[in-house]
Order: sequence, then C-alpha cells, then structure tokens
Amino acid sequence: MLKFILRRIGVSALVLLGASFLMFILVINSGDPLKDLRESNAQNREQLMAQRAELLRLDDNPFERYWDWLTGVAGCFTGSCDLGVTINGVDVLGLTQQAAASSLRLITLATLLAIVVGVALGILTAIRQYSGFDYVVTFSAFLFFSLPVFWAATLLKEFAAIQYNNWIAVGQYAPTTIVVAALVVGFVLQAVLGGTRRRRLVTGVGAFAFVAVVLFVFNALDWWRNPTFGLGGVLLVSAAAGVLVTALVAGLRNRRVLYAALTTSVVGTVAYLAFAPLLVNQPSWLLLAGLFVLTLLVSAGIGAAWGGFARRQAMLVTGITGVITSILVVADILIANWSSFLGIKSRPISTIGSQTPNFTGDFWEQVLDMGTQILLPTVLLTLVSVATHSRYTRSSMLETLNQDYVRTARSKGLSEREVIVKHAFRNALIPITTIVAFDFAALIGGAVITEQVFGWKGMGALFQDGLNAVDPAPVMAFFLVTGIAAVVMNLVADLAYAALDPRIRR
Amino acid sequence: MSDIRNSNPGGEDYEPQISASGTDAVGLAAGGSAAPLPTEDKSYSQGQLVARRFFRHRGAITSMIVLGLLVVVAFTSIGVGPIPGWWPKDYTLQYDKIGDGAPTWEYPFGQDTGGKDYFALVMRGTQFSLIIAFSVGIVSTIVGTVVGALAGFYRGWVESVLMRVTDVFIIIPLLAVAAVLGRMAGDSGIWGLALVLGLVTWTSLARLVRGEVLSLRERDFVLAARAVGTGAWRIITRHVLPSAVGVIIVSATLSISSAILLETSLSYLGFGVQPPDTSLGTLIHDYQAAFSTRPWLFWWPGIMILTIALCVNFIGDGLRDAFDPRQNRTKD
Amino acid sequence: MTTLDISTPGPASATGDAVLSFEGLDVTFKTEFGDVHAVKGIDLEVRPGEVVALVGESGSGKSVTSMTALGLLPRNARVGGTVRVGDKVVGALDGKALRDMRGNDVAMVFQEPMTALNPVLTIGDQLTEGLQLHGIAYGKQAMARAADLLAMVGIPEPERRLKQYPHELSGGQRQRVVIAMAIACDPKVIIADEPTTALDVTVQAEILDLLRSLKDKLNTGILLITHNMGVVADMADRVAVMLKGDLVETGTADQVLNHPRHEYTKRLLAAVPHLGAGPGQFGDVAAVTATPDDLPALDLSNLVIEYRRVGKPTFRAVDDVSLSVAQGEIVGLVGESGSGKSTIAKCALGLIPAASGSVSILGSDFRRMKGKDLKALRRRIGVVFQDPASSLNPRLPIGDVIAEPLVVHQEGDDKSRRRRVLELLDAVELPRNAYNRYPHELSGGQRQRVSIARALTLDPELLVADEPTSALDVSVQANVLKMFTALQERYKFACLFVSHDLAVIDLLAHRVVVLQNGRIVEQGPREEVLHHPREEYTQRLIAAAPVPEPLEQRRRREARHALLAQLGDEVTELHVEDDYERPYPTRDEGGNASGLGGFMADGGS
Repeated sequence: MLKFILRRIGVSALVLLGASFLMFILVINSGDPLKDLRESNAQNREQLMAQRAELLRLDDNPFERYWDWLTGVAGCFTGSCDLGVTINGVDVLGLTQQAAASSLRLITLATLLAIVVGVALGILTAIRQYSGFDYVVTFSAFLFFSLPVFWAATLLKEFAAIQYNNWIAVGQYAPTTIVVAALVVGFVLQAVLGGTRRRRLVTGVGAFAFVAVVLFVFNALDWWRNPTFGLGGVLLVSAAAGVLVTALVAGLRNRRVLYAALTTSVVGTVAYLAFAPLLVNQPSWLLLAGLFVLTLLVSAGIGAAWGGFARRQAMLVTGITGVITSILVVADILIANWSSFLGIKSRPISTIGSQTPNFTGDFWEQVLDMGTQILLPTVLLTLVSVATHSRYTRSSMLETLNQDYVRTARSKGLSEREVIVKHAFRNALIPITTIVAFDFAALIGGAVITEQVFGWKGMGALFQDGLNAVDPAPVMAFFLVTGIAAVVMNLVADLAYAALDPRIRR
Repeated sequence: MSDIRNSNPGGEDYEPQISASGTDAVGLAAGGSAAPLPTEDKSYSQGQLVARRFFRHRGAITSMIVLGLLVVVAFTSIGVGPIPGWWPKDYTLQYDKIGDGAPTWEYPFGQDTGGKDYFALVMRGTQFSLIIAFSVGIVSTIVGTVVGALAGFYRGWVESVLMRVTDVFIIIPLLAVAAVLGRMAGDSGIWGLALVLGLVTWTSLARLVRGEVLSLRERDFVLAARAVGTGAWRIITRHVLPSAVGVIIVSATLSISSAILLETSLSYLGFGVQPPDTSLGTLIHDYQAAFSTRPWLFWWPGIMILTIALCVNFIGDGLRDAFDPRQNRTKD
Repeated sequence: MTTLDISTPGPASATGDAVLSFEGLDVTFKTEFGDVHAVKGIDLEVRPGEVVALVGESGSGKSVTSMTALGLLPRNARVGGTVRVGDKVVGALDGKALRDMRGNDVAMVFQEPMTALNPVLTIGDQLTEGLQLHGIAYGKQAMARAADLLAMVGIPEPERRLKQYPHELSGGQRQRVVIAMAIACDPKVIIADEPTTALDVTVQAEILDLLRSLKDKLNTGILLITHNMGVVADMADRVAVMLKGDLVETGTADQVLNHPRHEYTKRLLAAVPHLGAGPGQFGDVAAVTATPDDLPALDLSNLVIEYRRVGKPTFRAVDDVSLSVAQGEIVGLVGESGSGKSTIAKCALGLIPAASGSVSILGSDFRRMKGKDLKALRRRIGVVFQDPASSLNPRLPIGDVIAEPLVVHQEGDDKSRRRRVLELLDAVELPRNAYNRYPHELSGGQRQRVSIARALTLDPELLVADEPTSALDVSVQANVLKMFTALQERYKFACLFVSHDLAVIDLLAHRVVVLQNGRIVEQGPREEVLHHPREEYTQRLIAAAPVPEPLEQRRRREARHALLAQLGDEVTELHVEDDYERPYPTRDEGGNASGLGGFMADGGS
C-alpha cells in the first residue's frame, strides 16, 4: 500500500511539473503586460516600461524564467520559499498564504457539506425511487447544476442576505409565512418518510402542526432576536440524534447500542455543564479542539463499554452521537451570543468580504461574524456539488441494490434498513470517492467566481488580478495551491477507496 | 447491456422471456431447421430502440421542444449576419427610453440604461452563447473520443502518454486554463474562443471513452473481428465506437451544458467574449449592479442561460436512460 | 395443465409432512412489454430429508418458483396460489414475520458464488449476522459457531477464514461459505438454485457430496433447481420438469429419467450428451483423411504464454505446451477454469502473443508474419466464441455480421456476398429472413448459429471453437452440435474445440488434450484418453462428471469415492460431531427489552 501511495505521489508530481510548465508558458503569452503603460500619457512612460520589463524579465528566455520560478518553489522544501513578486513588487508568498487560508476554508467546508448532504439525498432518492420526493430532488439537482454561479450568487445576496437582514430588524414571521412554511415541511416529510397513505397523512399533518406551533411560539417569545436553546434543548436533541443514529446503524432492537447512545448524550450534556464556565469565559480554538478530541475518546469508551458483541457498531454510534452533541453545544453557545452579536452588527448576513472590517467582539461574536460571512458563499458552492453528488450516489446505490449479494442478504432475513446500511451503502460509496476527488477541482473553479461575486480577497482574486496584468507569479501561486490541493484530494480519495474496498488493499 | 432480452425489468433475478423470439428450440423437430423468428415485420435496430425509449422520456422531449423553439427564435428574430430577422429593432441602436425602460409591449424585455432594445440584445447574446456551446461540444467530443479511443485501443505507451496529458489538463482547474486561453483567443472572436474552450474540456470524455473501449476491446465480437484480420481503423470505427456511442452522445450533451456555463462564467470574469461582441455572461456582468433598480436587465439573460442549460441537461438524462435501460423499472 | 404425476407415495428417505409446498402457484410480471406469465399454476412439495429437483431450461420459470418461497420477487410480480414453508403460508406473512422466516425456516444457495457474497464484508461478518439476527448466538459465541459451520462444510483453518474477505477464497470455497450460511440457522428446507453451474466439474462433485450428506445428516429438505440432468441423476429423489411455466411431469428420479412419459422430457433427455457413449449421438463427424506427411492445420510447439501484471510477478498461463491438429481433425482441448485452454485458443488465433515457442497454421508461423501475409493467413482460420450475448456486434444486422469477413478481405461484390450469406444461413438452419434482423432479436442458440456461419464465411481450413455450446440450454446445445457435426462432415475443416464438458468432447473429438494449470497432462486418441485414462488428474476429471442416469451415476459416484480413497483423498461431507446440538433460537439477548444478559460476561470482549 505504501509503495502504491509513493508511486501515486511520484506520478502526480510529474504531472504537476508538466502542468506548471504549460501554465507558465500560457500565462506569459496570454497578453501584453505593458499594455496599460503603452496607452498611458505619463511623461516617464519609457522609463516605467523599461522598469517593468526589467522586473518581469520580459527580455529573458521563457525557459529561463520558468526555471528560476521552479527553483524558487523548490526552495520551499529547504525552508526558503520564493514565489516571486507581483507586477507591483509585492511578495507573492505572503499574499498566497493569506489568500489560501480563506479560500481553502471555503472550499473545504463546502466539500464536506456537499458530501454529507449529497450522499444522504442520493441514498434517500434511491430508496424512494420514482416517488414525488425523488422527482423533486432530481429536478432540483438539474436546476442547481444548470445555474450560472454568479447569477445565483446575486439572487442569494438579494433574498438570503438583504431581505433577511431587513427582516431580522423586526424578527417576526407573518402568519401566512408560518402556514406556508409548515405546509412545505409537512409535505416534504411525508414524501421522504413514505409508507401507507394513512401513515403519510399522519406524518404530514403532525409535522405541519408541530412547525406551525413552534413558529408561533417563537414569534411570541421574540426568539429570532433573542434565541436560547438551553441545556434541556441540547439533551433532548442529542438524545433524539442518538436514537436516530442507532436506528440507522444497528436497529433499535439492539438495546446495548441504544443505551450506549443515550449514555453518550447524557454524559455529553453533563460535560457541557461542567465545562460551560471555561467555554464562556476563556474560549479559544485550542480549547475547542482539545474538548472535541476528549469527546471522541469518551464516546468511543462508552461505546466499547456498552457494546458487548456489537462493540464496533456501538462505538460507531456513540462516536457519531458524541460529534453531534459537541456540535449542539457549540451551537447553543453561539445562539446565546446571537442577540449581543446583533447589537454589534445589525445586518448580520454579509454579502461582501471574508471578514467584517474593523470588527471587534469577543471570541464567540467573532466566530459568529466569520460564520455569517462564510455562509452565503458556502451555500452557493455546496448547492452545485450537492446536485452532482446526489445524482451519482443515487445511481450508484441503485446499481448496488441490484447486486446478487443484496439478494443474499435479503434471503437471510435482514430488514431493508440492515440491507441498505450494512450491505448496499458501503459498496455504493466506493465509486463515489472518485467522483468527490474530481468534483474538488470543479469546486475550485466555482470558488474563483464565488469569491469574485462576494468580494473575497482569496485565491480567485490573486488569479484574476494576475491574469489581467499578465503577471505570472500570482497566477502560478494560484496554480500551485490548487494543483497541490487537487493532488492531495486525489490521494485522500485513493486512501478512502482502499479503506472501503478490501479487494485493492495490499 | 443494450440487449432488452437480458435487461431485467424487475431488477431482481428471475427469468421470464420477454421477447417472443426466445425459443430456439424446445419444440424443434429432429432436423432442427427453420427456427422461429419474430413474426412482426418491423425490425428494430439498436438506434431505433434507443429512439423509442428516448421519446418516452417526457422531461427530455419537453426540453427538446423548448430548446428548439429557443434556437429558432434566437436566430430568426434578429437575423444572422447579413440576413435580417423578423424583429423590427436593432440591438446596436439606441432608442428613446419609455419611462425607466421597464418591459412594455414595444420592448418586451425592457430597455437598457442607454435605451437599447433589451430583447434584441438578449437574443444576440443567446445566439453567441449557443454557437459557442455547440462548437465547444463538438470540438471536445471529437478530441475526447479520438484520445480515449486511441488510448483504450492501443494500450501500451500510447495510452500512458495520452492519459498523462489528460491528467495534466485535469490537474489545472478548468476555469483557470480556460481563462488563460480565452484571454489569448479573445481577439479572434467567438470562433477562436469556442475552439480553445473545446480544446480544454475534452478530458472527462476521453477518460470515459477509454474506459468503455478498454472493456469493449475484450468483447468477443471485437476479438472475432481481429481474428478474421480486420484492420485497426475498421475495428475502431465499425465495431468499437458504434457500441460506445451511448457514452459519447450523453457526454457530448452534458459537455454542451457545461460549455454554456463555462462561457458565461468566463465572460463574467472578463476573459471570455470581448466587446463589441456580447454574450449572456457579459450581459449579466454589465448589469449586475442594476438588480435593485432595473431587475429585468438581470433576470432575462440569467433565465436564458438557466433554460438552455436545464434543457440540455434533461436531454442528456433522457439519452442516458435510453442508452442504458438497466435502471428503467416499471413504475408502481 | 398436463402434469403427469407418476410418483409412488414418497421414497423411503422422505418422512413426515412437506416442509415446502406450492399449491396452484401462479406468477405474472408486469413489464413495459406487457404481462409475462412466468409460472402457470403448479403444485409441488418437498418433504424432510428429500431432494426434489426442479428441472427446466432458461425461461421455464423454475427460479421464479423458488423465489416465491422466500417472498423475494420484485414488486412488479403478482403471485397467486399458496406457498407453504412448514406450517407458514408465505403470502399471509407481514414484513417482519417474512424476514423471521427467511434464513430460519427456508434458506437459499445461489448460483454465482462470486457475486453472492458481499465483497466488502468479512466471511465472519456475513456468517454471524444471520445467527445474531435470528437470535441463535451473539458475539464470541456467534464467531465460534461460524467457525464450526465452516469446519462442517469442509473449509480448512476456519478461524483464519472468518477474518478474510470473499475475494481471498476460491470459487468452490465461496460456494461452501454460501452453503454454511444457508445451514447456519438450521432451516427446514434449503433452496439451491443452480448451486454448481458456475463451478468446475471436480468442485461440482464435491459440493454435491456436501449437499447430499447435509440432507442425510440434518434431515433437511432440498429443492434443487438445475438444468443439468447429470446433477439431477446424482442428487434427486424426485424430479419435477418445468416447461414455460407449467409443470409437465413429476416422479421419482428413476421414473422420470429412465421412463419419461411426457414428450418434452423425452426430448430433453435425448438432447443430453452422455459421457462414455462416444460419437454418433448427434450425427457423425468425418474421419481424418490426412496423412502424417500433410501439413498440420495447427501446430503449437513448446508454447509459453505469460501475463504481465502491475506490481505482481508475471503469471505463466500456459507452460510448454505442444500439440497439433491435423487437417480435417477435431481436437478437444479440455481442462478446468484456469487451465489455460482459452488462452491457448486465443494464441492460436493470433490474439495474444506467445512468450516463447511457435504457433504455425498450415506451415506458416504466426510470429514471423506481418501485414498482408498475416491477413491472408487469418482468412484461413475461423472462430466461434462462448458467449452468444457478446460475440455478435449489437449494432449490425445479421447479414452484415456474416458478410463482414468478405468485406474485410475484399471478396466479391454486394450481390455475391448476399448470395454467400443466404447460403450460410441455410447451412446453419436459420430462416433467410434473419438477414435483416439484429442480434438482440435472436435467441442464444440462434446467435450461436450466426457465429458459426460467420466463422465459415471464408471457408476456413481451421476452426477454433472456444466453448461454443457452454452457454446454451441442453436442447439448444444438441441442435447446435448436430448442425456442427453436419457442417464438419460437409466442409471437412480442422477444429480446435475447447470445452470443459467431457461429454461434448466425447461425442465430437478425434483426439483429446487434457490441460491442468497451463500444462498438458495427457493427450491422445479420444477412446484412450476418455475411456482408459492413464493419468490421475484425467481419472479424477472423468470420475467427477455426472451422467444423466441415476443407477449408472450411483455406480460412478461409488467408483469415484473408491478412486479418491485409493488416491488418499477424503470424500467431502458434512462434518457433524456426535454431540451436535440443533441451534435453538434464544431470544434473551439483544432481542428484547432486558437485552443485557451477558453484558458483564463478555462486555469487555
């Protein structure tokens, strides 16, 4: 396996090398870097032109220029990175570090979200093939990958940001809005859950009533401006998540796993109570990461202790429940900080930039600020990828459900849930790993546009400005970061493939 | 795979004979002559069967009609080149503005800030976007098919070289290389742009075709053709590619829809169609600030792009179902 | 309904009430081409300790019948009549009761061991899940029980196997795992759907021995679905024959196989080639007239073929093989999967290169030829492949398929080509209107006739036939073989006939070459090799091939067991300890609310 990975890295490095050369030659030949100076009326025009030609080494052999760029990059291995300077003499390395941080944050978040949501939707549509739900998701998927990103971005800015910001100033839903929202939720839920006509009716009406009542109560409490969630909420939702995960992974009949999940919820809530002062008073990223690792360890321990014969399943379930609980805890703290955040920033959802300029607030308010800044670009990027992932997952799942071993599993008396979760799902995931890796490259392209629309100073801007000025250094820096990211992503996909499919493990 | 008799209408295993012809056989007299053949006179080729399945796909047919209408309107309304169209207004002329330029009977799509007829402008943009998308689709399909077929059929070093080249193109973000090339070709008009975009978007098709050819070249009918002494060219064109045509057509359709989006994205970033030419992407770029004041300037080109891409995607889906009937189940 | 039930009231081995019964079973599928009536009201029952063979050709509805017992038909099926498993009526069960029944009361052994096991789960996982589901054993106990089961079906080192994945096991071992899974919960009845069709003949004999000892020792009823009359003769107590959804004849194995009453059964039996009966079963082939001085049609000497694999050592598929086919001679190349027989055929066609050694066709060496000469040489060889589904280009009508070689070699004009095609259609006994049909409109046997016609288009002197009848039903195979012998008599081509079926080789070949693991084990005239084999491997191979006559097959089986004993091998059987306890579902762990029993005991495991 190690040999295989090293070989892949070697081949990828060669491909990167070839691609970088191609890119370099293309970029320096893509236009005239002196164009703006030629057309200017400045008195020292000639001198400026000579200066720039000197800086960009326009008179040198392109191969020599490429070689020098390459040796500069090679310096990164010895700790002396040199990615060159821009047309204005700014060091590209510094620019790249800044830009890469914000861009990769956006892309990674979108990728993760897209995988989770896309795969989940794909499986649901495969199970409910040819249902109303399937048709709706299919149509939406087509709609989303037919959407011009920049156009959708403008719509999103208008309807998700500006209108929301206007609304949050008041924070009350109109009764008609509530009824419509509740109707939609009820309808979607009955379509997803399916069953007999009567069961669907009960599901639909129940969901409608629940949503309507909750929204009216929230209105009355002015919840949208002063939201609280509370310990009880955390416990309740976490326990519900535990039950759901158990039902999916092991089945509710498996009491050991169920009790393990519930224990995790309770322990998580108690731990929240214990750590709350620390989290509220001295928060830091390090603390959050440390607590997250602790959560994973404790959850796995609970699973191992309860699991018995089903230890592996139990640990999986408690692990997932633990992660969900910790997300809930963070969400609870953030929600508690929402009203003070609104005090600082009255129009919370931003449409421009990756950070609010001159924003001051405590740790949690800054997290909220970052969240509201990244929200719209992420939603946009995710939508397109979700469309792709859900379609691929659906067809892969349908293909798997037709296999002989699924029939064997059914003939043993397994329930549909066990057949799908244990036998079909893992096999269906195998081809999807490849798609995810490919899609990552497409996401980078989408990110360039998204960043431009939302005014982020990320890799997209680096690329666009550089190309406009026929300035190779920043464009090549963009290529370097995205190319390496793509290679890494492919490698991760290979590893995931090997982990999922024992046939190619070595 | 493309054999209805082997396709499994229920998805699970059972073995009813669907076609009436499946009886070599059982009842033959000792001499065993004249096995029964289907009695209906009409004989369906694979292509006809595909067409039949395609025409049952309602989404695809609707999309065909909508796209057809759109193409006809886009090209006849303002005419092409020297040929005049039926629409009385010219997209280059500035007319007197009626009010703030909102859509009226005279200007159904409204007028832009300078008073130009927006319908004519959008039609002009649609023409260019369609031309680019279809040219890109054709170029990338040809390149991808040739590269994939050669790599898959000849294996060995041909395959290694071609696939590494493909990897090079895959590892550079498509938008980036398209932007660089688009900028270079910007001066040579839309045809140049279409050509270079086609030259960078063939990679996924090449991989697909290669995979398909790799499996087809081991099929018995290809082996039989080789055993009889058929030349490589004839094997590829007569035996291998016709069987891979499903993959190619579906992929070509989808590459058209992604080409539309790529072109508009590039034009939006300023690396695509250059003035005085206009495309749907440049229209959105030019008027994106007008969203709150003159929303129609924003909506029309976006809806056009969306409609075209959506129609093409649905047609692609219909084709995929038609070529690969495995997942067609009877609805219940 | 024309069922002829001539069975006497139950054979001695069958006792008690039926464990599986079908009463008036009727199945219809709704498809996009209209309704398909797959099973038309049949009655059948299986008693404990009894093997009932359900025989029929593809499309007869036998698999559909078996799937109704598990309630596993797709949703577009409408099932009428009653199916009982023990005292449960399948149609009346709800989802949960149905799932409880599957695996517990009735279990299934499928045809394809390669695809019947989930590739990403370990053998242990797949074996224990049924045990845990039906409350028989949990955790470590389940693993121990799974190991016992593997030992029972004769898999060595069961503990190690439990941790392995299906791809690490051979085909025969996988089928044993599938059988172990089927008997895990001690079902009353096992449905075996073509359990040995995908296996080599020696492995088939072992699996059949295993199934036989299973019903003897556990008193399980078995519904055996098969198209292979040899397997029927070897296994069945009673036989039911299906034709197009109808049950046309039932009776004891002796009655049905030796004294068939229904026309169809008679025809079916007449179509089965009989190992040991020699040539003449389906027409005669021409005697070889070539003298030793004549050039051989095909001559392989010291042939070595290797496959290069990435990251693994080179695999030698064929090792130092020398054989020759005289003009007008049919040489049968036999061997089990992996013996390299198809590889040799492909090499003889020039489709894969030889690593060393020589391949010469009528005196010209393939390896020394290029371009035009090579093409000219190729027109003297014809080829027929195994799979009728993939051997014809689906995009071309039959006329074009058959005329293609003429076009490639630029012979004749359109008119003469058409004439030749029609002539060949007559020769392979296809109607002339097949000219404009497409391959998908033809049945498997018809397609194989087209393949043969295409191979004969250029009047080849040598025909290479790679398992040409293996994918066909017996009656179709019989017709194709008849036609083949007739054609050979007429055109007198030499033929390298590759097959795994010794009976087919026996009726066709002049000489026989036996291969094992890429090497020639034995070769010589047909009578010598097939009737008086000298080598141990050949003896095993021949002993393992079943014949369609119960009494003779019993003799052969006993002779085979004697041979195995003489060679020092064990006869496969179910290894049941004397203190074997029937697994009994205990629902006190994991299955109910208390669910915690044993938590302290193995909680830390």
